[in-house]
Amino acid sequence: MATVKEQLIEHVMKDEVSIPCGKVTVVGVGAVGMACAISILTKELTDELALVDVIEDKLKGEMMDLQHGGLFLRTPKIVADKDYSCTANSKVVVVTAGARQQEGESRLNLVQRNVNIFKFIIPNIVKYSPNCIILVVSNPVDVLTYVAWKLSGFPRNRVIGSGCNLDSARFRYLMGEKLNLHPSSCHGWVIGEHGDSSVPVWSGVNVAGVSLKNLNPGMGTDEDKENWKEVHKQVVESAYEVIKLKGYTSWAIGMSVADLVESIMKNLRKVHPVSTMVQGMHGVKDEVFLSIPCVLSSSGLSDVVKMTLKSDEEEQLRKSADTLWGIQKELKL
Amino acid sequence: MATVQEKLITPITGGASEGPRNKVTVVGVGQVGMACAISILLRELPDELALVDVVEDRLKGEMMDLQHGSLFLKTPKIIADADYAVTAGSRIVIVTAGVRQQEGESRLNLVQRNVNIFKHIIPQIVKHSPNCILVVVSNPVDIMTYVTWKLSGLPKHRVIGSGCNLDSARFRYLMAEKLSVHPTSFHGWILGEHGDSSVPVWSGANVAGVNLQTLNPDIGTDQDKEGWKETHKMVVDSAYEVIKLKGYTNWAIGMSVADLTESLTKNLSRIHPVSTMVKGMYGINEDVYLSLPCVLNNSGVSSVINMTLNAEEVAKLKKSADTLWGIQKDLKDL
Repeated sequence: MATVKEQLIEHVMKDEVSIPCGKVTVVGVGAVGMACAISILTKELTDELALVDVIEDKLKGEMMDLQHGGLFLRTPKIVADKDYSCTANSKVVVVTAGARQQEGESRLNLVQRNVNIFKFIIPNIVKYSPNCIILVVSNPVDVLTYVAWKLSGFPRNRVIGSGCNLDSARFRYLMGEKLNLHPSSCHGWVIGEHGDSSVPVWSGVNVAGVSLKNLNPGMGTDEDKENWKEVHKQVVESAYEVIKLKGYTSWAIGMSVADLVESIMKNLRKVHPVSTMVQGMHGVKDEVFLSIPCVLSSSGLSDVVKMTLKSDEEEQLRKSADTLWGIQKELKL
Repeated sequence: MATVQEKLITPITGGASEGPRNKVTVVGVGQVGMACAISILLRELPDELALVDVVEDRLKGEMMDLQHGSLFLKTPKIIADADYAVTAGSRIVIVTAGVRQQEGESRLNLVQRNVNIFKHIIPQIVKHSPNCILVVVSNPVDIMTYVTWKLSGLPKHRVIGSGCNLDSARFRYLMAEKLSVHPTSFHGWILGEHGDSSVPVWSGANVAGVNLQTLNPDIGTDQDKEGWKETHKMVVDSAYEVIKLKGYTNWAIGMSVADLTESLTKNLSRIHPVSTMVKGMYGINEDVYLSLPCVLNNSGVSSVINMTLNAEEVAKLKKSADTLWGIQKDLKDL
């Protein structure tokens, strides 16, 4: 007696193993990982999503919850497992795993805890997706991107840190509020170390190409009557403030990661401030990762933009580089 | 000394911009409320989003976290407050507030706890947005939609329960998996009471118009050798299972609510299985809300599809209606 399926459907092709073309894996199903997942799914960036974590119940529950929304999505395959084999053939792997910042804790304090976790994660990613692009989100992101790069053995175009993509997005949001404009029309770049020592490049801040610093030469200094420096200060404090209020941040970082994934998946060659190996640039001598404007394409991070920075801005980058190297050289990798 | 803004920008329109045209409010910033919010924002549906809750720190934190993603969105105004004045002028108000099901707790057990919360919420919503459409998500959704309708004084077409929209979505996902097609290509409706007593209308299940019951007349019965009835059971068990694994459900319900919101804000006249007032249909004589296929447009539920249900299916709807009315008639102060 033929089943309903047999009566309804006739299979007409020779069976081939289907390899996903744009598979995305998210490592870590905490608030950040799931915010990345829901943003990536809703933006229809991938034909297959894999989730990995160590807590098996939560992992399965999150997978099922996403699958149940299948009617509303264009991602036909959502899988999850503790075993990294489910991540095989990924194009992009987003790493959010690791301990999160506690209230008042700086990102640098997290480092050794997260390095140990990466020693397990990164080789597993590489084993199953040797050609993928790794996008590191876990904090401290610049150090952990360096760690991921070292542990993976990948070329530098395939290991990217989410870096200052979110800082710049927050800066542009706050700038937009101040000028009563949409953030996408407010241009400003925050580069360098993601976190307390990030560098707002005031000389580049503009609307429709009109340089705001030309209109207000004191911009970004302590003498500025309009106190634009406060905008950057708010960016730095944003994460701590949201953590104090709701316990963690998730939505903004999730959306910013989806923005990066989109540029990679669609080969857009958009320029984003993300964390890359900056040795040899801006006077940085060590192998450190800092955010500068980078061109993202389907090969990953293919080019970087050479910003014209003032001497004090470059000094800040070098200082960050020294701090990061100070930590990195003590790490056991 | 002119500010940067003054030097940069010459205003053309004299006053402030007009009010929002597609404002959406989400009441309750728990997991479900925030999943609704993020799905609605990512689908670029509203031009203004308001969040309300009683826990002020968390509310502010959630608002800020969404605002920080504004660069990636097309919703220029995201606001939040414990004071309902922030919700004024909403076209759609999504109510997710209330306590959530505990592991093993049935939806019906939540009821009195949530009714007391709604007595505070609903009048305030209506005060600030008298022309809105209310979408109720809080469980037990069919009863809470009835409660909302009573407390709001709004006409019944403007009070909708998310109802079986999610159950049907889960059903279509699970059935489609079995048939190796996309959920959108499998058509099947789950109606009636959201939860344990929902009714899968097997007579309508089809792919490309090919009726599955015609291929297998036993489908959905205990005699069915292929055991298709199990799929409906999995739908009923879904929520409990996800709750057991991760503590709550949010993503699927969030996506399904965004789907409803899209039909409402874009005046699509799409049909969704949502909870509506069914008195007068299928022999039901009480004021109860159950899910039927409803045509949703920008005025709310514009019409209801007359399903051809067999006697057993009608009996189940009637039974649900009786159960719900049994609880509703004892609710105080509505």
